[in-house]
Amino acid sequence: MSHLNISQIEELKDIMEDSFGDLVMTYLNDSDTKMMALKEAISSTDSLQVAELAHSLKGSSANVCAESLSALFKTVEDSGRAQKLDDVSQVFEKIEQEFLLVKAQLQELQ
Amino acid sequence: MDETPLHILVADDNQSDRMILCAIVKKMGHSVCEAADGNEAINQFLEHKPDIILLDVIMPNLNGQQAAKSIKALAGEDMVPIIFLTSLQEASDLATCLESGGDDFISKPYNKIILQAKINAFSRMLKMHNTLQDQRDVIRENNEHMRHEQQVARAVYDNVAHSGCLDLPNIKHMLSPFSIFNGDVLLAARKPSGSIHILLGDFTGHGLPAAIGAMPLAEIFYGMTAKGFFMVDILREINIKLKKILPVGYFCCTCMVNLSFRRQEIEVWMGGLPDFGLYRKETGEIERIKSNHLPLGVLSSQAFDADTATFRFIPGDKLYMWSDGIIEARNTEGELFGDERLFAIFDEPDSELFFDNILKNVNQFAGENGRDDDTTLLELSMVDESEIAKVDIDLSSGAVTGPTDWNMVYTLRDETLKTFNPLPVMLNILNDVPALRNLSGQLYTLMAELFSNAFEHGVLGLSSDLKKTADGFAEYYRLRNIAMESLKDTFVKFDFDLEPLDKGGKLTIVVEDSGEGFKYDNNNFNLKSEDNSAYCGRGIPLIYSLCDSLIYFGKGNKVQVCLSWKTQLEE
Repeated sequence: MSHLNISQIEELKDIMEDSFGDLVMTYLNDSDTKMMALKEAISSTDSLQVAELAHSLKGSSANVCAESLSALFKTVEDSGRAQKLDDVSQVFEKIEQEFLLVKAQLQELQ
Repeated sequence: MDETPLHILVADDNQSDRMILCAIVKKMGHSVCEAADGNEAINQFLEHKPDIILLDVIMPNLNGQQAAKSIKALAGEDMVPIIFLTSLQEASDLATCLESGGDDFISKPYNKIILQAKINAFSRMLKMHNTLQDQRDVIRENNEHMRHEQQVARAVYDNVAHSGCLDLPNIKHMLSPFSIFNGDVLLAARKPSGSIHILLGDFTGHGLPAAIGAMPLAEIFYGMTAKGFFMVDILREINIKLKKILPVGYFCCTCMVNLSFRRQEIEVWMGGLPDFGLYRKETGEIERIKSNHLPLGVLSSQAFDADTATFRFIPGDKLYMWSDGIIEARNTEGELFGDERLFAIFDEPDSELFFDNILKNVNQFAGENGRDDDTTLLELSMVDESEIAKVDIDLSSGAVTGPTDWNMVYTLRDETLKTFNPLPVMLNILNDVPALRNLSGQLYTLMAELFSNAFEHGVLGLSSDLKKTADGFAEYYRLRNIAMESLKDTFVKFDFDLEPLDKGGKLTIVVEDSGEGFKYDNNNFNLKSEDNSAYCGRGIPLIYSLCDSLIYFGKGNKVQVCLSWKTQLEE
């Protein structure tokens, strides 16, 4: 099963042309940083921070066609907004796995 | 892409999102500048003046909504469409975006086609907005230009169509300008004889087209009046001029009045104006004077009818003239002020209040909104001539020298006597003599009296006694018309003789007519008659007072007057 929307990613490659590699790198670095911050926000149960970071990651993941990953971030964002962080740690584990797969597939595409 | 390239600001704190957006926008052929937060977005806006802004909502430092507010305020009248980049789903969040000045939304993941559609739509809107703004600026500029031109034109107009002697103590007037230029003209001037000419004109339309016609009208009115032309000559001249210059359908409703203090009468020509009111002090009644002509500028010279009506006008009598704006003033119900309401004002016993009452009543009736035409009102009172300042006529001419030694005989026969006023022609010749130019008022009166005596009393054989009563007054003019019809082998002959004297000169005028003459007494002209202010008479005491000598010859149909002067060295 693909972790990226294949038809969309082709269009994105088309738009970005030579900058596609830069985009992937930027996305991956940025997401690494933000996910670390998100993990910290979850452990310190900072709901607002959790929601904002998850919102940003949701958007950027959607933009690189990582639909499943984006959906997972949305779950976290919603929990953050609802201030119910009980199950968030579990979801975050799924996110970490999914992110690795997305990363691998994106790097493959370059 | 058929759209002009735009400059687009992309403001998003997420670098990868920004990269994608920039790539899409560039692919569409537009140029891009970037910002990573709200503050940067404002700075980039000020620096690059982007056409469209793509603005993320959630950003550090200053969020998108706050940035949008500042940018919209800074843009002022310029249109800067803001498209919010958001995946916000809550209706209230979207509403906040709109309130802060957002024009549209686009959500992640960015769809190239949707973004393109939105940018193209705003591009067209911008183009339209700019066109509108340009056109508005052009209109504003043109308007400014036109106002300036109108002000200059107004200054020229005021110099030409100045109000003359409307400030005389026996005239009250009110002109309400509906615009810078209005369609009403009100002119007044003294004739060399001291009589007053008044002209009230109401041109079709308002503004510039009306004002343009008023200029030659005023020019002719003032020029010819100063030279001593009769009212009918002036009207003829104005009619020809207006007929020539005004487009079809444009004309001037006019009333012209000649007030003669010495004859105690007014002569009226009226075309196309509503009834005027003539107040009689003796009876306290108001008489209507009706228009019986077409407006000026309608008929050809041949068809033009210069017939005037003459009314006795004694001290205390008042003439009221107005333009139709008075009668056509409307109240809030759209009702007209009307002729009946206007004439009812004269039921008031105190004639001093008429003028103010007319204005007051019309204003009360019409209120603020009722003025849809120019309104002009004038009250002309008969007073004793001594209450009015002396005529000050400017016949300025460059020539200092002129003919000083000459003789001229000028004989007017039947047909000429019927239709022609010889005074301006003769006075023009006399005014070529520099010394006589200074005496032109006196000379005019003298010539007018001599001619009137020779023609009216001599040739036509009319008795001046008739004009002593109001009935006789009408009779006088009836008989005058009859006598005019049957002129045969008649003449009035002027003989001018100018001779230079040491340090001055002498003018001798001999006037002879074909009439029966009258009984005279060459030794008794200097009558300090109590009757001097009466309606008529041959004006002999007046003539006598104006010249050095006055002698009648034969049966009284030939008279000689002499006028001499010393040259003033300063001149």
